[in-house]
Amino acid sequence: MDALEGLVRLARKARQEQTPVFGVADEVRLRIRSERPPSITLLPLGVFGGLSAVAASVTLFLAIEFWKYMNSPIMELVRPLPEIRLW
Amino acid sequence: MENADWLDVAASLKGDDEAYTRIVRRYEKPITGLLWRFTRDPGQCEELVQQVFVEAYFSLKTYRGDAPLLHWLRKIASRTGYRFWREKAKEPVEMTLSDSEALERMEAAREQDVDSAEAAALLHALLARLPADDRLVLTLMYFEDCGTKEIAERMGWSRAKVKTKSLRARRKIKEIAVRERLLEKLGWTR
Repeated sequence: MDALEGLVRLARKARQEQTPVFGVADEVRLRIRSERPPSITLLPLGVFGGLSAVAASVTLFLAIEFWKYMNSPIMELVRPLPEIRLW
Repeated sequence: MENADWLDVAASLKGDDEAYTRIVRRYEKPITGLLWRFTRDPGQCEELVQQVFVEAYFSLKTYRGDAPLLHWLRKIASRTGYRFWREKAKEPVEMTLSDSEALERMEAAREQDVDSAEAAALLHALLARLPADDRLVLTLMYFEDCGTKEIAERMGWSRAKVKTKSLRARRKIKEIAVRERLLEKLGWTR
């Protein structure tokens, strides 16, 4: 018998081996839970975004209202501020 | 894909842990059987089985369902076992065939009396003397009865590469078997 034939015969016998069973289901579940990335809740981000949008809208509204009362908006930018007596 | 697998995969993707536990229970035996070919240490084998199912869970969305779930799990298991060998290869272990307890017990045994567990232990010890690539090809061929096509699919290698490796590996294992007088020791010279 050739050595390779002997190995094939050995392998045929080896394939009949009863392999152990460990019962890993519970351990796998625990590992998955510990390795699972925490789910990110989008609620705080949404609230912050909403408030920012409201603030930006109010600012834009006031800016447009102020713009309307300017005679020459470009000149207003370079004109020195008038001195106002506070008391 | 089997209907039960399909339902459990879909439920697992929606976060149903119970569904994935059912998948693990359904397939842990064949996966353990495969990984037992990579290590005969029960502790290491159990750790590898867990690794396979954890990795499979986090890759579940990449499973397309065009092949049975067990094939997909076997692919992950083969790669996990191969990775394990490559890591172990960094820790050199000297093992000669004559040191193998399995061989000592088998030397006295007649051909028909050869115990399957001892035959598996001996074959495992023989294959352990090959580099990881060669060992993988012969392990899947001898223990799992895989052809070159299936090995190529499992490992993502080309079929030509698997054929080349199997030829080289068989030549090496034959040299080892002849040098160690395996057939004489087993009483298989007739």
